[in-house]
Amino acid sequence: MTITAARPQSARRVPSLTRAARQGYVRYLIPGGAGFLALILVPFGMNVAISFTSWSGIGSPHFVGLKNYRRLVHDDLFWSAFEHSIWFIIAMAVVPTALGLFLAAVLFDYVAPRFGRRTASFLRGGFYLPQVLPITVAGIAWSWILNPYGAVNSVLKDFGVSDPPNWLGDSNWALPSVMLVLVWMQIGYGLVIFMAGMARIDPQLHEAAELDGAAWFTRFRNVTVPQTRPEIFVVLLTTTIAALKVFAPVFVLTRGGPGDATNVPSFYSYTNFFGSLQVGYGSAVATVLTLIVIVLAVIFVRVQSRSEGV
Amino acid sequence: MVMRSRLARSVAIAAAAMLGLGACSSSGGASGGGKSLTVWWYEQAGNAEDLGWKDALTAFEKAHPGVKVHFERKVWQQIQDAGAMILNSDKAPDVLEYNKGNATAGAVASKGLLTDLTTVASTRGWDKVAGSALTVGTYDSRGIMGPGKVYGIPSYGEYVSFYYNKDLFAKYGVSVPTTFDQLVGVLGAFKAKGVTPLAMSAGDYPAVHLLWGIALAKATHDWLNGYFGLKGKLDSSANSPLTAAAQTIADWTAKGYIDNKSSGLKADDAWSLFESGKAPITFAGTWMVPDFTTKAKTFKWGSFLMPGSGISEGSGGNIWVVPSASHNKELAYDFIGLTMDKTRQNEIANAGGVALAADTAAVTDPVGKMVNATFHQLVASKGLGLYPDWPVPNFYNVIQQNLQTLVGGNQKPDQFMGQLKSAYDQYQSSAG
Repeated sequence: MTITAARPQSARRVPSLTRAARQGYVRYLIPGGAGFLALILVPFGMNVAISFTSWSGIGSPHFVGLKNYRRLVHDDLFWSAFEHSIWFIIAMAVVPTALGLFLAAVLFDYVAPRFGRRTASFLRGGFYLPQVLPITVAGIAWSWILNPYGAVNSVLKDFGVSDPPNWLGDSNWALPSVMLVLVWMQIGYGLVIFMAGMARIDPQLHEAAELDGAAWFTRFRNVTVPQTRPEIFVVLLTTTIAALKVFAPVFVLTRGGPGDATNVPSFYSYTNFFGSLQVGYGSAVATVLTLIVIVLAVIFVRVQSRSEGV
Repeated sequence: MVMRSRLARSVAIAAAAMLGLGACSSSGGASGGGKSLTVWWYEQAGNAEDLGWKDALTAFEKAHPGVKVHFERKVWQQIQDAGAMILNSDKAPDVLEYNKGNATAGAVASKGLLTDLTTVASTRGWDKVAGSALTVGTYDSRGIMGPGKVYGIPSYGEYVSFYYNKDLFAKYGVSVPTTFDQLVGVLGAFKAKGVTPLAMSAGDYPAVHLLWGIALAKATHDWLNGYFGLKGKLDSSANSPLTAAAQTIADWTAKGYIDNKSSGLKADDAWSLFESGKAPITFAGTWMVPDFTTKAKTFKWGSFLMPGSGISEGSGGNIWVVPSASHNKELAYDFIGLTMDKTRQNEIANAGGVALAADTAAVTDPVGKMVNATFHQLVASKGLGLYPDWPVPNFYNVIQQNLQTLVGGNQKPDQFMGQLKSAYDQYQSSAG
C-alpha cells in the first residue's frame, strides 16, 4: 500500500509588478507599519535599552552594562521559571496538539458521518468554549473547582479518597494542576484548525486507503496526520510561543506560588518590574524571553518551509 | 509626483491619527490655576472612609463655589502597579490616596514626585490629629519610613486582631485569652473537641498577618526599629521574633489549629468559615468589620488583640499625597483638611470605620465605638506594629508564597526564614 500525498501544484507564477504599481501598495502598509513601530518596535528598543540599566522605574536610570544579564545567568529563580516553561509547552502545545488532532479526527470522520454534522459542530463548539471564555473568569472558576474543599475534592471524597490533594495549595501539585487547566483551555484551538484542515484533504485518499483495507487508526496515522502537517506546524508554533510567554493563567490561578512552584519568565519579569521595582532586571528577563521566542519561531518556520519544499 | 504627494498625505494622516490618540488620552489630568481640583481614591464605594470623604468633597464644593471638582475612583492594585508612572506623568491628580510603605509612597517620595507636607501638616494641625499614626506618611531621603519628612497624611487607621464567635466560646466553655499561653490553650481546647479553631487562608494575605501578629507578640521596639530601618541583615536566629512566629505557625499547623489545606484557600474562604459559624476564631483587619457585621448574623461575635508584648499589627491607613506636579496644592490642602476635621472623623467612626481622632462621646455606633476605642489605646501606648512587608519592595509576595509552602508542609521554618533572609538582605545591602 503506497499512498503518495498529492502536493498541491504551486500556483502559476504571477508576473512581478512594475515599480510604480508596487509603490502604489506602499501606502496600504503605512497604518500597520506605524502601529508596529509605535506599539512593538519602539517599546522593544526601549526595553532592551532599559535592560542595560539599574532603574526603579522613577528618576533616571543608571547604565550598568551587562550586569543584569550576568545576574540572570546565576539566578536560580529565572532558570526554574524557564524549566516551568518547558512544562507549560507540554501543557499548552504538545498535549493539546496531539489530543486536539485525535479528537478532531474522531469528530470529523467518526462522529459527523454517524451522528450528523450538527452533533459534531456542537461538540466542536464545546471544545472551543474555553478559548472564548475570558481567562480571568475561567481561572476563578477553576480555582473554585480546585479549592481543597471544592468540587473535585468532594467528588473524590465520595469515591472514598480520604485525603484528596490540595491542588493549588501544595507545591507538588500546583504545577500539574495549572497544566491540567491549560490543556483544557488549549484543546479547542488546535481542534478547530485541524477540523478545517481535514475538510481540505482529498476524500479519495481516505477512500483508497479504505479499499486497501486500512482501519480507522491506520488511516488516521497515514492519511490524516501527514495531510494536516501545515496545520500541525502552525498550531505547534503559535501554542509554543503562547506557552513561553504565558502570564494570565498563572497570575489568576497561583501568582507563581506556592513558593516559586509555578513561576514563569513573564510573571517573573512582571514581579521584578512592578513588585521589587528592579525595572532594569525585569527588562533583561523580558529581552531574553523575546529573543528565545524569536529564535524558536525562526527555527519552526524554517523547518516548516523545508518540509513543504518551499 | 502624484504618487509621492499621496504617500506624503497618507503619512500625514497616520501621524495625525497617532497624535490624536495621544491627545485623547491626556485628558483628565490635573490642570492648574486654582480653578479645579482632581481627587482620586480607591476606598470601596459605601465603606466608612468613602462616606466621610464624599462628605468632605461636598463640603469642599460648598466652600469653593468657583472650583470644579473631578473625582475618580481607582483600585488599590492600580496604584500599587502604576502609581509611580502616574505621578511621573502629566496625568497625576491634585491629591490622591496612595499606598503607604517603602516600596510605594517611600519610593516616589525619594524621587521627588511628592510634595513635602511637613510644614503644612504642622500649621494646619494634621500632625496633632494623626499622632503616632503619622509614621505611615513620614519617609527619609532614601524613602524609608521613619524619622524624616512628611509626604503623606493618613485620615483613618486600621489594626489586625482576633475576632471570635461568642456563642461557640460559651458552648465549649472557653474564655477570651489574656496571655499567649492562654491563647494556645484556647486553640487546643477547640481542637480536642474536633473543631479546627482558626479560620485561616495561607493562599492569600490572612496568614501573613497571623505570622506578623505572632512575631509582634514576641517583639521589642528595638528589634522592630532595626527591622523597619534596614539597620542590618535579617535576624533569622532562634531568638528572632520572626523565627519564633514561623515556628509557631508550623506547630499550629502540625497540631491542626491551622488547617494545612488552608494553603489552597483564599481570604474570602477564611472569612466565610468564620461568618458561617464553622470556625470559632479568625485573625483579621478592621477593614473586615463591615463584612462581619452584615454576614455573621447567626451568632454574637467580639474581638480581642493578640496577647503578648502589647504591640499589635496596625498603622495609620493609606495616605493622602499631593503630587509635586499638582498646580492646585492649596486646594488639595483644603480638601485634606476637611477629611481630618471633627465632623468627618466622627462620620468615619459612626460608619464603623477607624477614625484617627473621633469624639468618643459622638460615636454612637457600637462597632465604631469598639474599634475606635481599641485603636486609640494602641496609638496612646505606641502599640502599632505596622506590617511585615514594608521594609523591602515585593517582600509581601516573598512572605506570602513561602508561608503558603510552609503551611502546605513543603517547607520547614528554617527554610522559610532562609527565603525571607535572602530577599531582605539583598535589598538591605543595596539600600541600607
